[in-house]
Amino acid sequence: MAEVSLTGVRKVFGTLEVIKGIDLTVQDRELVVFVGPSGCGKSTLLRMIAGLEDVDYGTIRISGKDVTENAPANRGVAMVFQNYALYPHMSAYDNMAYGLRRSGLAAPEVDKRVRETAALLQITDLLPRRPKAMSGGQRQRVAIGRAIVRNPDVFLFDEPLSNLDAGLRVEMRSQIARLHRELQATMIFVTHDQVEAMTLANRIVILNHGRIEQTGTPLDLYVNPANRFVAGFLGSPRMNFFEARVVGQSDHGLDVRVVGPVNGPVRFTVPLTTQVLPTQGLTAGTIVTLGLRPEHIHLGAAPVQVGASIRLYEQLGRDTVLYADADGLKCTHSEGGQGSFTVQLNQPLPVELGQRVQIGFDPALAYVFGVDGTCLSPKRAVLASKTD
Amino acid sequence: MTAQSTPDKTQGRRRATPRKIAPTILYHALMLLLAATFLLPFYWMAISAFKNNAEIFSNPVTWWPSPVRWENLTALFNREDFPFVRQFMNSVFYAGMVAIGVCLSCSLAAYSFACLRWRGRNVVFAITICALLMPPIVTFLPVYMGWAQLRLTGTYWPLIAPAFLGDAFFIFMLRQFFLGVPRELMDAARLDGASEFRIWWQIVLPQVRVALIIVALFAIVYTWNEFFAPLIYLSNRDDYPLSVGLFSFRSQRSVEWSLSMMGAFLTALPMVLLFLFTQKLFRQGLSSSGLK
Repeated sequence: MAEVSLTGVRKVFGTLEVIKGIDLTVQDRELVVFVGPSGCGKSTLLRMIAGLEDVDYGTIRISGKDVTENAPANRGVAMVFQNYALYPHMSAYDNMAYGLRRSGLAAPEVDKRVRETAALLQITDLLPRRPKAMSGGQRQRVAIGRAIVRNPDVFLFDEPLSNLDAGLRVEMRSQIARLHRELQATMIFVTHDQVEAMTLANRIVILNHGRIEQTGTPLDLYVNPANRFVAGFLGSPRMNFFEARVVGQSDHGLDVRVVGPVNGPVRFTVPLTTQVLPTQGLTAGTIVTLGLRPEHIHLGAAPVQVGASIRLYEQLGRDTVLYADADGLKCTHSEGGQGSFTVQLNQPLPVELGQRVQIGFDPALAYVFGVDGTCLSPKRAVLASKTD
Repeated sequence: MTAQSTPDKTQGRRRATPRKIAPTILYHALMLLLAATFLLPFYWMAISAFKNNAEIFSNPVTWWPSPVRWENLTALFNREDFPFVRQFMNSVFYAGMVAIGVCLSCSLAAYSFACLRWRGRNVVFAITICALLMPPIVTFLPVYMGWAQLRLTGTYWPLIAPAFLGDAFFIFMLRQFFLGVPRELMDAARLDGASEFRIWWQIVLPQVRVALIIVALFAIVYTWNEFFAPLIYLSNRDDYPLSVGLFSFRSQRSVEWSLSMMGAFLTALPMVLLFLFTQKLFRQGLSSSGLK
């Protein structure tokens, strides 16, 4: 049973603490994706699990065994690197066989395992070639083969698809998903690409500044973000955030009025659970942040409706993305920067720059974030979750 | 787009204007003059090797030997007081062992400084670099006394053994090359179960082959021309390398200029040929070490 368990793991470089106490358990056969912005510590954490970085505080257990002080080769892990890290002076065969030879396996067994793995990945014809005679995708397959052939307890992937072009990335992504199903192995995958995270993961761990912000299934994180960082990080285009002033509370929720220059007051009620209201100190006059996904904003009639002018638009074929300056609703953060609202319409729409439109949304779909950034909105139903 | 970026092949090479031709000619003439100035002593040595004493000192000066005296070559090889072949082989052994020594020791040290993380690494590297600032003559006497205590003077041990203990300049040069080896290669090898020694030998060294060749070339040239240390440590003529052997022969047979010149010519020739065939690597080595 290849379960990976991290307890109070911390890492300090000089005076800079880059990993600030991580507690996490990756279940056997689970594919967990570490995702977060650059410099959040996801690669460092992965390297600590691999044994390539020392653990300053805390414990790492793999399959129940404390491996914190073990050498990388004695942890039962294999790693696929962003730049493939194939030995340039060796053939693909030798690259795959190198670790097996180091472990003392007999030559016939090494040959058998290399050829079996090559057949699994359909890279048999690449075995005599050196890395420089292969394309990026072929190199990545060989690098994955080098990991598989060692039959590790845990696979570690450090942004393995970053160097590939868009088409190849999609292909390799599906291949990794297929391998996870076939090998039934525990995998930890690091990426900054949220599409990779959403499509591959059984569970996503969102990291920020060396801390875990939230863990959960991709859809759960998308639908029920724990805080403003997670809400803003997951989703493309990003969530629109705007400030609102609490006017009052009722049994139905929080009565708010939008902060900013208002051409006629925009006032609406955002539903909150009654348990939340008394504890959060949301008294009249408190400033809260509201979040709206771009796909939750529509053109035309809606419970809350404001006029807007189109500042920029993107025709994506199937979708249309509008960046609109709304009257009285001023975004603090959105895909289009400060000010304008991002609206995602799932249809092609003929629009023009400067065109006046009516945008609207259902307040029930807005997220409310407290002063400390915590999401106060009630949990929403998740349609489906990945179980494989 | 493609048409714009493709150069027009019908358009011929632009002709140099007269304004540009004159400085170019002047520049090349100056360079040729400088090159001739530097080559003159070597040329004089080469033609003197194939003359007799009278022709060497003839007036007016003859710029080509007539006749070419090939017998100087056989005369040099047959001299009992100048065992040229033996001393040539001594030089090959000396230079070869020093090259092997510095390649092994300096690459190990450079690997440690560039690829391993350990407390005090930068301080130790700074101290190593400080060794570059210390003139070798300062430590020569105590080192000599040490070898004398070990009763190893008169052998090649004092000349070769230090090369196996590293050299600050070559450590610095190799470290620059080692820093260019992707760290992930070493990480991958660690995950594959390779020891640090094996990573150095099997993974990193093959990536810096060119650097090792450069270091070996520098070491060979330096050792081939090394005069002071072998003169101090060696006492037997049969043990001398060519640099000392030639000096010894010339000081004893100062009147035999043609044989001295032949000896000097044959001593210099291997290094000249080595440089001619590997000058690109020399340039690369100088630029990577920041000497250029």
